[in-house]
Amino acid sequence: MQDLLNAATLGSIYLLFALGMALVWGTIGILNFAHGATFMFSAFIGHMVSKETELPFLGVIGISVLVGAVISSLTQLLAFQPILKRSKSQHAAEMRILIGGIGVAAIPLALAQRETRSSPFGFNSSYKSEVFEVLGLRLTTTSAIIIVAGLAIGVGLTVWLRRSRQGLALRAIGVDAETSAGMGVNRPLLAFTTMAVAGGLAGLAGALLTFHLGAIAPETGDQLVIKAFAIIVLGGLGSMLGTVIGAYVLAGAETFVLVMNWGTWVDAVSFGLIFLILLARPQGLLGRKEVRRT
Amino acid sequence: MSDWYYMNVVLIQTTLTTLLLALSIQVPLRFGVFSFAGVGAFGVGGYGAAMAMVHLEWSTWPAVLAGTLAAGAAVFVLGLVVQQLSGLYMGMATIAFTLIVSVVAVNGGDATGGAGGLYGALGEITMTHIVLVVLAVVALLQWTEMKGLGRRIDTVREDPELANALGINIAGYRQMSFLVSGLIGGLAGALTTLLRSTITPAEVNFHLVIVALTAIVVGGSRSWIGALIGAVIFVWLPTVLSFVEEWEKVAYGFIVAAAAIYLPTGVLGVAKDSWHRFRTREERARVAAALQETS
Amino acid sequence: MGSGALRRKTLVAGVAMATVLGTAACGSGGDSAGDGGDNTIKIAQVQDQTGPVAYAGLGASEGAELAIEEIEEQGFLGDDVKIELEKYDTAGEIERASSEMNKAMADRDVDAVLGPVSTQQAATVAPLVGRSKVPTVFTQAGGEGVVVNDYTFRVTPPMESYYASVMDFLEEEGVKTASVLYNATFPTFALLGEDDVPAMAEERGIEIVQSLAVQMTTQDFSGQAQQIAKEGADAVVMLLIAPQSVTALGQLKDAGYDGQIVATSVQAAGNIEAAGDNANGLVYPVPFSVAMEDKESDAFTKAFQKKFGKEPDPYAADGYDAVWWIARAIEASGDSSREGIRKGLEQIAGDGFTGAMGDLAFDGNDARIDGVLVRWQNGKETLVE
Repeated sequence: MQDLLNAATLGSIYLLFALGMALVWGTIGILNFAHGATFMFSAFIGHMVSKETELPFLGVIGISVLVGAVISSLTQLLAFQPILKRSKSQHAAEMRILIGGIGVAAIPLALAQRETRSSPFGFNSSYKSEVFEVLGLRLTTTSAIIIVAGLAIGVGLTVWLRRSRQGLALRAIGVDAETSAGMGVNRPLLAFTTMAVAGGLAGLAGALLTFHLGAIAPETGDQLVIKAFAIIVLGGLGSMLGTVIGAYVLAGAETFVLVMNWGTWVDAVSFGLIFLILLARPQGLLGRKEVRRT
Repeated sequence: MSDWYYMNVVLIQTTLTTLLLALSIQVPLRFGVFSFAGVGAFGVGGYGAAMAMVHLEWSTWPAVLAGTLAAGAAVFVLGLVVQQLSGLYMGMATIAFTLIVSVVAVNGGDATGGAGGLYGALGEITMTHIVLVVLAVVALLQWTEMKGLGRRIDTVREDPELANALGINIAGYRQMSFLVSGLIGGLAGALTTLLRSTITPAEVNFHLVIVALTAIVVGGSRSWIGALIGAVIFVWLPTVLSFVEEWEKVAYGFIVAAAAIYLPTGVLGVAKDSWHRFRTREERARVAAALQETS
Repeated sequence: MGSGALRRKTLVAGVAMATVLGTAACGSGGDSAGDGGDNTIKIAQVQDQTGPVAYAGLGASEGAELAIEEIEEQGFLGDDVKIELEKYDTAGEIERASSEMNKAMADRDVDAVLGPVSTQQAATVAPLVGRSKVPTVFTQAGGEGVVVNDYTFRVTPPMESYYASVMDFLEEEGVKTASVLYNATFPTFALLGEDDVPAMAEERGIEIVQSLAVQMTTQDFSGQAQQIAKEGADAVVMLLIAPQSVTALGQLKDAGYDGQIVATSVQAAGNIEAAGDNANGLVYPVPFSVAMEDKESDAFTKAFQKKFGKEPDPYAADGYDAVWWIARAIEASGDSSREGIRKGLEQIAGDGFTGAMGDLAFDGNDARIDGVLVRWQNGKETLVE
């Protein structure tokens, strides 16, 4: 049971991180490799501010979310938007968006590495995580917050994308950008907002994860990007629910390997599992047939 | 000149091995296959060659051959298994392959040296050798870019239905791209390992995928010349940037991002476009002049 | 990490003269290749100045600069002998390391090299060093394949060579059972966790009841922490990289584990600060600590604080002892050519010397020290008696 709870915490961590990436990739078709750097740098700024003055829990979260949103909007405005403008089609731009993101990501990473000399950093906050026991299961307040936040935002985004007008517009872009533009969808504005929201989510994940782990290093974001990429593909691109399931499947597999104490095989087992699932379901667990490509 | 050469001999070698690595990713891309298995092949080739040298005490070139063939075989089989995947799903599956290669190396015990990797596999490889090997690979790829074959490959990538209608065996072409990618990637891994004498599991990672991909996209993704341009840029950029000292990585980030924005078809594509535009203008001027004369 | 620097102010003149004479003997104005100009000794530092392991290279730079300042001030090698430190950044990349190394060695003015800090970079350049015959002192780089020929020297003792002190400590504390939590994809820790620690534990009658391997990318340790807490061993041997350690300490506490935790020198250099109170009581071995009280170490700490306005980390001690080793080598052989320095380094290694890290003895060209055990308490290291 405790193992299930641990898997749920780990899954929620992955989910929080992956949600922002899944949102932009699944709707406006941008695979943002700077997401990890945005995540890390939001927490880093939180760390820098809290070094000056002790902050409450919500204060750190607020700063990180804001920083994440700003970085992500700037990335969209200064890198991805110009790339799209210079491309014949979204498809032609895919690769360059990937590389653009990688270039952007190098900048905050280098800055944080320089400042911290790659030492781990955490927050100086008045918030202290506490442990409570329910039915013999140990859980910290931070993990509880992460599980609730991960699930709530994951489900919330799923419902919002399905039900709301903006959600419809976003999904329309994901299916056919040209036609949806013809139907009156303001693509650049919507894309900008989506990126800002995703950046905010990265910031939220950065703050919560740093609280949960005690500290992160400048390189932490890079490791999560590849896992998030795997989760999104596993769940099926374009399906938020798929991302939610993918996160817990990956976390479940990793926890299983750890419980069996095959620690050094974690990546082989989890990525092997993804490999096998893709062979059985070439479009991911809940993915639709790829319609963007003609 | 000889001083310069001596001081930069490693950079020149690295440029050539990076070119091979980039080509191992570029080849499948030219066939419309989003495969990163070349980096896994790099690991298989590197470990294969190092193991042959350290454990079996083979000499340099048989070891390189062993690594290359092992990588080619592994990636070819992988290609058969994942052939029904498309786009980034294929990308994910091949990245999984790459990461699994690394994990197997960590857990390989004495055979792979575990987490510490293998060391002491210093091959007898001279610059002439590398240049000859790279020339051979490039000649092969040049042949695939020419006339008929080149056009058929373009069709497989751009319009698989049309290719099918033309009677091109798409599946066969794609499987071939896996084989070639595996062989070139394995060769890159074997040469790199025997040049530096060590290989560790930590090297066979996602970072290598990024290096190769960046080189291709910035250089130009349709031809080996683009990969060469990319390899030259990214191997020599740090040297050029060393004057900014600790800001080097920041500058690097800006340059990569700017290249992605302002060079839509890579350095090669942009160069070709301007050449084409220049020619067209000349041609027009000539025609206009001719018309003027006749009128 | 580090070689020692002894500040024996008396010793100076004799051999320093030899250095000067050695140069002068080659003819006035003439300059024999390889001995670095008339009165200047050039040391190339080929270490990370940027990237993920920059802390080790930057620390070593500071230590080296301090050593050079002292050597010049004391006139250790003669009054007008200058030492020039030229930095080559390897930026965390293997190819960069071997290319920068080649550049440094191709410069005939370079007399000695401070070699890369990461084992992989070091193992790659080690054969080149032998081929070009440039004496190279590595700092850190604790893995195998680094000290492989007559021109490779290492001033940082490999962690397993002084880890026994930790196990002695556990034995004295009356520990009977221990859990091991280690990063199996980090070469040094894999070696310690799989071979050395179990062997040393057995010798001391400590039973390893649990051995949990994780990998470099593992970030959450809730599961492992709870397994350890459930097992309830007397002690935990934690062999993890810096950010992992911070997380694991917090989560062990959250899981209700309250036994003794011992770790590694990775925790030094303020890397454990982010763990806050969770790290209180943590014990780990270090080759150098500001808490060290012997004369040389203390003098180093004070001088460093004066020059840089902060406390030295073990990486600074590395750089400091490495440069002093080279200076002593020149003094011993009386020859500042590459070959002379090589001979001198060997000679000094044979005798051992005292530096910032205390008494350094050598196994061949490879440093060995006792190391000290420190306990982390409220943001400070204190010596464990």
